[in-house]
Amino acid sequence: MKNIPLLIGAFLFSILFYKQDIGLNFSLFSLLTIIILLIHNKNLFKKKSTIIFSIVFLITAITTFFYRSSLAITAYIVAFLTLIGHVSEEGSSVYVNWLNGAYTFIAGIFHRNFNTNEKDEKAIPKQKVDYLHLIKIIGIPLITVIIFISLYKNGNPMFSELISKIDFSFINIQWLLVSVLGYYLLSNISKPVRVDPATTYDLNTGNSLGIKGNIAEEKLKKENQLGFILIALLNILIVFFIITDITYLISTNDLRASAFSNQVHNGINTLIASIIIAIIIILYFFRGNLNFYKDNKNLKTVTYAWIILNLMLIINIVIKDCQYIYYFGFTYKRIGVLIYLLLTIIGLLTTSIKVKQIKNFWYLFRVNTLTAFTILIVSSTINWDNYITYYNLNYAQSMDFNYLLELSDNNTFLLKNYADRNNLTAERKSLIEKKYEAYLTELESKKWQEIHYDNFKIKKDQ
Amino acid sequence: MNTPSVILKSTILATCLFWIPIMSKDFQSDMILFVFLSIIPISLCCAFTILLTIAPFFWFHGKASSDGSVHRNKVIFNKYFPFYAITTFSLCLYGTIKFSFAISFFISVFFTTMQSWIWFAKNNQ
Repeated sequence: MKNIPLLIGAFLFSILFYKQDIGLNFSLFSLLTIIILLIHNKNLFKKKSTIIFSIVFLITAITTFFYRSSLAITAYIVAFLTLIGHVSEEGSSVYVNWLNGAYTFIAGIFHRNFNTNEKDEKAIPKQKVDYLHLIKIIGIPLITVIIFISLYKNGNPMFSELISKIDFSFINIQWLLVSVLGYYLLSNISKPVRVDPATTYDLNTGNSLGIKGNIAEEKLKKENQLGFILIALLNILIVFFIITDITYLISTNDLRASAFSNQVHNGINTLIASIIIAIIIILYFFRGNLNFYKDNKNLKTVTYAWIILNLMLIINIVIKDCQYIYYFGFTYKRIGVLIYLLLTIIGLLTTSIKVKQIKNFWYLFRVNTLTAFTILIVSSTINWDNYITYYNLNYAQSMDFNYLLELSDNNTFLLKNYADRNNLTAERKSLIEKKYEAYLTELESKKWQEIHYDNFKIKKDQ
Repeated sequence: MNTPSVILKSTILATCLFWIPIMSKDFQSDMILFVFLSIIPISLCCAFTILLTIAPFFWFHGKASSDGSVHRNKVIFNKYFPFYAITTFSLCLYGTIKFSFAISFFISVFFTTMQSWIWFAKNNQ
């Protein structure tokens, strides 16, 4: 009986995806996925966390329908894997959810086939199927008949004409094959599976550090000294760097895009190296019993100071990036820098929590992957192309017009509106018109499975 | 471990999976000859893939534990198969995107390797 929803789902899958582009089908597939999961895992859907992950998945599905951007599609795939992984093991971390989700989606049916409970199998005695005989009685006559048909076709023109009149074109085998693929995928996700021992290891690993063996005072004292000197020196170095950087920022009047670009990108490269080294050094010194050493107060103080100085470095780059945006407008790279800086701030804050509350490496990994996941979902709900275009056209001191034209079709209506209301050069107007016409043609040629929000917009306008 | 039998079964499966999508698109009876001829390269591909990427997991994963090869095969399967499946899927997906004309080849590779793991792991049960 439980196969019926899967069979219906498989046919719906084919209807939604056979020779179709991305559009409404993605949103409908998300509903199909949740229904299949609900039918096979009713108890799990009584839990808050499962409901939250389902809602997150639906939000990404709606976003895909509205914007159809690469970011929205990426967020949709990640949310899908997270939900499947969560259903496979509700207590595991987000990155283990991704692993379980990917494994379930790719090869869940193979895993279940291999790990079938032998006791269950024995309870229902099965009649042994003689596959070899089955292949013989179907395969051999079929192949022989086909060979003879092709032989007789060459020998007798009337027979050949008769054979060529047989028309099976009403059966779309490719459509059926897509249904089979749909059945395979839906069957995979219906009963999510776990990757072991990774999942068990994750479930058994807590977030806190404990004392390992005996505290060797002498060894810890030496390590504490080394850590203090090293991090104190790095503090002095970063202070010099920040002072010189701020001095340069105040004294320079160079407003060329290339100069800003160099400053921001060099700053980012320095920051990436600095943060990675900072976290590795902190993780190294605070990996074990040094956390419980009674005289580690100074080491902790210089560590916090280093984290704060790195935060100052980030703020410095944020100011540069904002200036860059103010003068030359938004681009994906400039927004990417801001998001990277946000992630870095969160990474540094969680590192300081790790030091203060004596947490382990897995705590950092868990919290930061969850943060990255949240930022991905939130940022996917924003129509970036539209915002970039709106800001650059209305507020930026100067901007690259061709860049706006090269963005996805999500800004087409805004550009068209802008061109209609403002006096643009004939060349720019014609370029916008060209983009608009091409987009309208594309929207009008879409089938119902491929439609998205802009299709309704043009219907309203008409 | 009956490796030749796994290779034989994989060759039949791979041939079917390779030709079904092609034939569903445009079937011509002249293709039958090519189906039979293709068995030779397909069997070579299957043999190389199985011998180089699947069988070593079972050959080199230590000796059988006290409760026999059933448990040993289960441990090997559960430990390595997920990562093998994810890697194979990623490579096949990349291949499909890059060389869309060879989609049936990549479908065949993916499903045959997955099923070969099952045959290998269940062989001694």
